Parts: sequence; C-alpha cells; structure tokens
Amino acid sequence: MKTSRKSKIQIGLLLLPGLLVFGIFTIYPILKLFIMSFFEWDFGSMLSHRFIGLENYKEVLGDEYFRTVFINSLVYTLVTVPGQMLAGFLVALLLNQITRFKVGYRVLYYLPVITSWVVASLIFKYVFNTEGLLNYFLMNIVHITSANVRWLDTRWGGMTVAMLLGIWKGIGWNMVVFLAALQTVPTDLYEAAAIDGATAWDKMWNVTIPSIRGTILFALVMLTIGGFNVFTSIKMITGGEPGHQTDVILTWMYHKAFSTGKFGYAAALSFITTVVLAILAVIQFKLMQQKDQ
Amino acid sequence: MMKVKKNKKLLAILLTTVMSLAALTGCGESPVESETGSESQVSATAEAPAATESASQEEVTINFWHHYSAQSAENETLMNVLIPEFEKENPGIKVNAVSHEWADLHQKILISAQSNTLPDVARLDSAWVPEFEKMGILTALDEEMSDFNDVSGGLLESAMSTAKVDGHFYGLALNTNTKILFYNVQAFKDAGIEAPKTMDEFVDAAKKLAGTNANGQQVWGYDEPALAGWNLCPFIWSMGGSITNEEETKASGYINSPETVKAIETLAELYQAGAITGWNAGDIPMTDGFGTGRYMMLLEGPWKVAEMQGSYPDFEYATTEMPAGDAGSISVLGGEDIAMFNSANKDAAWKFMKFMTSEFAEEEMAKCGQIPVNKEALESDTVKAADYAPFLEAIKTAKSRPTVACWSEMDSELSVAVTDVMNGKKTAQEAMDKLAERFDELLAE
Repeated sequence: MKTSRKSKIQIGLLLLPGLLVFGIFTIYPILKLFIMSFFEWDFGSMLSHRFIGLENYKEVLGDEYFRTVFINSLVYTLVTVPGQMLAGFLVALLLNQITRFKVGYRVLYYLPVITSWVVASLIFKYVFNTEGLLNYFLMNIVHITSANVRWLDTRWGGMTVAMLLGIWKGIGWNMVVFLAALQTVPTDLYEAAAIDGATAWDKMWNVTIPSIRGTILFALVMLTIGGFNVFTSIKMITGGEPGHQTDVILTWMYHKAFSTGKFGYAAALSFITTVVLAILAVIQFKLMQQKDQ
Repeated sequence: MMKVKKNKKLLAILLTTVMSLAALTGCGESPVESETGSESQVSATAEAPAATESASQEEVTINFWHHYSAQSAENETLMNVLIPEFEKENPGIKVNAVSHEWADLHQKILISAQSNTLPDVARLDSAWVPEFEKMGILTALDEEMSDFNDVSGGLLESAMSTAKVDGHFYGLALNTNTKILFYNVQAFKDAGIEAPKTMDEFVDAAKKLAGTNANGQQVWGYDEPALAGWNLCPFIWSMGGSITNEEETKASGYINSPETVKAIETLAELYQAGAITGWNAGDIPMTDGFGTGRYMMLLEGPWKVAEMQGSYPDFEYATTEMPAGDAGSISVLGGEDIAMFNSANKDAAWKFMKFMTSEFAEEEMAKCGQIPVNKEALESDTVKAADYAPFLEAIKTAKSRPTVACWSEMDSELSVAVTDVMNGKKTAQEAMDKLAERFDELLAE
C-alpha cells in the first residue's frame, strides 16, 4: 500500500516531538562530545579551543590511570552482571513456584531497586567502615577477628563492597524481568517434556532457558551497559581512594573534567567507552544469534 | 464527517508538538543569570532580562556565589545583616546571593564559564584564583578599578598575595586562615607529656598516644583527613622542604629534595607504626574521632573551634602552633578571595566587593569565626575578644600553596604519590622522583 502524502505529513508530525527530544538530548551531545575529543579543551584554552587531532586519545590510552579504571569497570561488570542475573533468576524461579504470599515476596525483593543509590551506598559504607557494623559484629559478637579489618581501604576491598551493593540492588530488577518471562513459557511444553521423561534439570535446560533467551539477552545488554556506567556507589563508598585505585571509568571521567578541567581528555574517554560498549553489545547479540541456528 | 475527524486529528498532533516544544524551551533558560549582565550574557540567555529592565529602570541585580554553608552563622550574617546594609547604602543595587558546597562551586564555575552564565561576583577559595585567571574569566582589578590601590592598601599583604597572578590582582582578599595543632588535654596528661613544640616531640607524642584505650578500641596519636597539599605542606615546609622553586616554574630538586622526602618518610613511618591515620575511606571522620578521644591531635583551622563547640561542647582540648622542624613552624595559608568575572556589571560588582572587605562587613563576619584581612577590622574589639590569637600568630609565618593554574592537577597527583608511599608500594624517594618529573611537565604546559 502506498503511503499518501497527507499521511506522510501526519507521520512526520507525530514523530517530531520524539525526534526533537532524541536529537537535542542524545544526538547533539554525542556529536558535540565527539568534536570536543579532538580539541585541547581545558583551563587556559576554554575560550579558544585548539584542534589537536588524536592527542586526547593518545593521552587516555597511554595513561596508567586509564588502565586501572578500565580494569576496575571491567571486573565490576564481569562480576555484577552474572551475579545479579543468576541471583535474580533463582529468586524468580522460586517465586514462580510458590502460591502464597507471592506479592509480599516480590515487594521485598524489589525494595532495594527503588532505594536511592546514595542512601544504599551510605548504608553499605557504614556497615563496612573500619569502625563499622560488620567489624563490630565479627569482633565483639561472634569473636572471629581480633582487630578491625580495613574493608574499604584497599583496591579490591573497596571494589568488592561496591560490587556487593551492585548485586544486592540488581536482584529485584532481574527478578521482575525473569518472572515476567517465565510466565510466558507455555505449560504444555513442560507437560510434553514430562511425558518424554525429562527431569527437572532437563526441563530447565531444554525448555525454560531456550524459551526465555530473548529476555536473557535483553538483561545481559542492559546490565553490561549499567555495569560500565557505575558511578554513585563508587563515589560515595570509596571516592576512588586509595589514590584513584578504586575509581571506575565514570568517576575518573568526572574527576578529570570537573576537578582538573580536562574536558578534552574526558570527552575522549567517554567516546572510547561508548565504542567499547557498542562492540560488546554487538558481540552479545551475535553470540545469542549463533545459538539460535 | 470524515474530513472533520481528520482535521481534529491534525489539530491534536499540532497541539502535542507545540506543547512539547514549549516544555523544551522551559529547559533552555538558565536558573542564574545576570539581569543586567554584559552583552554576551544577554544574548546568550534570551529575552528574559528585558522585562525586568523596563520595569525598574535604574535597578540592577548582581549575582553573588559563595560557599558559606547554607545553614551556617556566616550565611545568616550575609543574608540578614550584610546584604540588607549594602542595599540600603546603595539604592538601586540588589544582591542575589547563592550558596554552594565548596567542591560544587568550583565545578559550577567551570560549567558556567562554558555556557556564559557566570555570576557577577564570587567568593573563591584562594587556591582557585590562578586557574580561573588562566581561563581568562576574571577581571584584573588593578587595571580596571581606579581606586584599587586605596582598597587593597587596607587589606593584609600576605592575604592579598593569594589574588596576585603574573603581576596583576584578580581579586580582593576576603578572609584568611591557617592551621594550628589541636590536642586532647586529658590524653596528654595521662601520658605525662607536654604539647609538642618540635617535630621530634610531635613524632614521639604521636607514637606514645597511639595504642588501645580503656574500651579496647584502637586510638591514634594524630589524624590527617587527606593527603593533599593542604595536609602535607605544613610538614614539608616546616622540615625544610618545598613543592617548587620560588618562581614556581620547576619542581625537580624541590619536591624530591632530601628534606621533602624526609617529611614524607616521617609521616609514612608514623602510619606504618599505627600512630596516625585518617585519609582512608573507612576511617572515622575527623571531628568525631577527635571528640570521642580516638584521635589525639589534629592540624585544623579556626572553624574547628565552632565545630567542636557544636558537636562536643564538653570536650577538653587546647591548641598550640604547628610543631617546628629545621625550618621553623610553617603552616599552610588558606582563605578566600572575592573576585568579579569579566561578564559582570563592573560598577555594582566593585561596590559590593569593597563593601564585603570593609571594616563593618569584616567585623560582622569575624563574629562568626572568619578571620578578617581588613587591617582596621583586625584592630577591632570583636577580633581582640575572639580567640584568634594563635591563628593570627601562625599566619605570620604561614605560606600559601603554589599559585599556578595547574595546582588542582598537581594536588591530585601529590596525593596519589603519597598514598603509594603510605601503603608501602613505593619508597618516598621513588615516588617523589617520579612526581617531580610529572610536576615539571605540568608546570611547563
């Protein structure tokens, strides 16, 4: 069917508000960022920017801090994404089975998701402080340790606390997503599998997982992006200490742009992150498609 | 019938579009703008100011950004005493004061400089002045204001030096401060020692006071809440070291000199002996640690007096000067300057700056713990009655941190390097040698 001119105008007008918002708040900043990343854009040159080609990119990639923060972000993503997906999936499986208090449990598991990141981070910091709740519990109540453990004061100690927070906070979202997916799996598939003599394990691998693959992919992509975008928890819990050892990509970018005024560096760093994320998303899609065939 | 329906649809679409556009323009207006700002500002911020100008012809509003905490006595004085008095003395000028957090203010100014929405006047941490000067957003007061010398002559020279970059003045000193040693009187009595006068005594005291208290909790002899220049400079300078040469052009041979390295080593040894702490993410906050007897000594500024009064009014502490090393007792000079931006309404802004540094305003602020820089205010009864004497004494020998544009970055690198030394990853010599190279690069830029 041919689209008449009139309805073309209509479609255009309908799309216009959305496109405008998308263009002004998404496309324009990305383009501007891309342009900024080729300029010397910092104190002293804020009013007249000098084109320096790939210098910012060279500086980022040659920077030892960049390696540290990139590895931190990568580890954070590699740990928290499978962690919260697995935990969320297990909770969803359990909640899918029970018949009583369904709503109550769902609310309980979802509560961390609606808690503010700042509040949750401060509570985690309070628990894991050198003078915090956990050390008090270990030392004075169960008497396992004889001195306070400095949980937050090393690179991997601080990162672990932030990752625990990430997983704890992510379980609820994964639960909701997987629960919705589980409820779409037709029950006759399970009945047919039961007739063929499938065990619960077989059903899980051959019926449940293949049926919700789309949801798994969706969660994987969203959470990977989320993992690389972690900011609040790190900023609040360790603030990047000791000596930027626990900084992640975003907290480092923030530090470079707004504490030292290196906007060009920060723009190049953002752009590199965007490219890495895009590549990761493509790989994830490809992997899931291969399984399909 | 059909046609009517279609037209209605079109109308609905158009309405949606218009409404969303209207919503978008709402976002475009910046929250703070100079209502009679310079041309660049007016053109950048659309037509809003025009309405105000025509309504009251003579009236100008100047925006003043500061980092007096919103709940503080300083802010009360500013809003309820100083600004009303200024507006009474200068009819036709209104002051719109906005309070920011210290770190936010720095970022806000960076961002506003990008979008041409700077205020007229701001109270700046004196360490920021060189940075903003290099950005080209501050007004050189000695060039543009004919009565500059009369005004600056009434203010302390040491404090005014923080506003001087490359031979020109980009602000007026507003208030000054420095750090002195606060100590827990009871703990010193119990240990049978006197307040430390020299660096050796300080090291001994820190070690002696550390350990465990009656409740089995760990206590530390001294607390340092961070490892930046503000924290390290008093130790480096007092022990004869320095960050850069006098001209602030070179760091090799200064930041890695034997004296500087010795200062860092001294602190690292104390940390490894469990005698000092405070900069780790998991440590007890400074005021609480001091007030509850977990940290026995601090180096802090005049605001600590009010903080302790508020949080731990019954806690018994005393103060003494920064322990003297080979080079004497040299603390770090803090304080704020008041400066105007190039986009300001300069006449009104200058009037306000002169008012804020006047004897009256400085004396009012002195009542809330701000040490004045106005020479007449320093002689006033308020200042004499206040317990500033130890700070005023320390200011005579205190030095300011390097006034270079790349100081923020140097400061950040310094704390990373010293953190590595503290954690035993590098020796002080290694870390400082590497830092010297980096500083030289930054200073050469």
